[in-house]
Amino acid sequence: MERHEIVEKIQAALAEVLMRDFGPLSEGTRLFEDMHLDSTAILELLMALEDNIGIEVDPENLNMDDFRTVGTLTDFLERARKVSS
Amino acid sequence: MSTRYLRRLKRALTGSADTPLVLLCNFEAEAQWARGHVGLPAPPAGATRPLVAAMEELGALLAGADDTIVLSRPLDPAYRDYLTHQGLALPTVLVPENCRPERSTTANAMDSPLLLDRLRRLGAAGAHLLPMGTTVDEEKLARRCGLALATPAATVVERVNSKIYGRRLAEAAGLRPVPGTCCETRQELTEVLTRYRHRLESGEPLVVKDAYGVSGKGLLVLENPTRAAQLLRMVDRRAARTGDDRIHVVVEEWLPKRCDLNYQITIARDGRSGLDFVKQALTAQGVHQGHLMPAELSAEQYRQIEYAAGEVATRLYADGYHGVVGVDAIVGVDETVYPVLEINARLNMSTYQGGVTELCQPPGTVAQARHYPLRLAAPLEFDAVRRALATVAGDRATERVLVTCFATVNADALLPVGAGGPPESFDGRLYALLVAVDRDRLRDLDRAVRATVTTLSVPEESHD
Repeated sequence: MERHEIVEKIQAALAEVLMRDFGPLSEGTRLFEDMHLDSTAILELLMALEDNIGIEVDPENLNMDDFRTVGTLTDFLERARKVSS
Repeated sequence: MSTRYLRRLKRALTGSADTPLVLLCNFEAEAQWARGHVGLPAPPAGATRPLVAAMEELGALLAGADDTIVLSRPLDPAYRDYLTHQGLALPTVLVPENCRPERSTTANAMDSPLLLDRLRRLGAAGAHLLPMGTTVDEEKLARRCGLALATPAATVVERVNSKIYGRRLAEAAGLRPVPGTCCETRQELTEVLTRYRHRLESGEPLVVKDAYGVSGKGLLVLENPTRAAQLLRMVDRRAARTGDDRIHVVVEEWLPKRCDLNYQITIARDGRSGLDFVKQALTAQGVHQGHLMPAELSAEQYRQIEYAAGEVATRLYADGYHGVVGVDAIVGVDETVYPVLEINARLNMSTYQGGVTELCQPPGTVAQARHYPLRLAAPLEFDAVRRALATVAGDRATERVLVTCFATVNADALLPVGAGGPPESFDGRLYALLVAVDRDRLRDLDRAVRATVTTLSVPEESHD
């Protein structure tokens, strides 16, 4: 999966969790400040990403910094896909 | 001059209405209690967000002129003048001399010899320490400074703040519980979610809550069996990795509700207790937004809350607790009262409003305490807020807008006022109490404050 495809999957997962449709998101979009994601929604977002990307993610392996922006979350998911493949 | 509310509180907690208090508003108490308990899978907790830590300023409005509050940053001078001008008797503010932003105020205090010395003198003069929620850290601070604790020991406070404890107390007291159950192991959670499979398949959600989740955190809504299976897989993988089968959560049916309630009980050291107030809680997606007071309840619904308050107080006292207790409850869409959703045996957001509502909300009027979100490009000076809000309250005789916390406006700014502003925009919150003659006028006032606060914000980028 190309990086831009992961960004699209994140966008779809955010739309599902936050129940809003978004236009294209840049990698610099901040999840908490710009998207108003709250900590309650992190677990739901990870579950939606599991569905969309087909990897298993354990929240304990994440760092809150991974959730800073769409780009940092994409970095994390790329690393996770390499480990699981 | 202290409010009657504060004097009652002091009498219950310390035995005398004149006892000087040292307040410490440690809003991160739950995170401390949660250590040693296993909740929902979650990323490792980071440091408390500056904005949440800054909510400690709310304590300044509860304390009286004879009291002291320990804050990691001083009150803004313009905000302090404003509060004094509004007729509030403010406490002495002590700021630890060694503050680090990633530490709690209690940790900052413990590392500040000059502050500790001041607190020792207050302890010697008979002051009591009143934390928002007592953890082992505040207990250590009290011991080190010779301050008597106005609350029970941390072990008692931690035990009774578990949502599992609260649910079992409600069941034992015969108070109508929200349908659900407690889980303490992976196996129990698996059994419960299997039992609820049909409910999930028919589209009726469940909510899974950490035993020690802060309001709106540590909470997962399961809307279908797929999400339940995913959760169980995550929990199984964690158990396999750590060799620890525990998970401390409550699983409850998600009930359609007319409103959330929050009521406060104060249990005195001698076991006497009283229902202080019942407020309607404003929430958005499970996260606390504020309170409406008084709550819209029938006489019978109020009586049910009064009865529940008495039962909760009796059982908490029997378990070694005295002090302030906030209880969350709900009224279903069919008007059924579920009187104990959650017991918070600590000071609550509404606790801090008690003094200002006594001063600002005349009998027969309605009030709302809430926060208004701001998006800022640079720190905002209090005078800008004051000027903007001065245009809002129309009929000053019956309407009032009082800023109840200003530190949360600029807390997430990376640079202080006058230093050129942070490189990125940041979110802030302005806390305010609004008073009006009726609900319609209150709604108008709320809309006006919201519109005014928006003018102070930078335009938001649209992601729609």
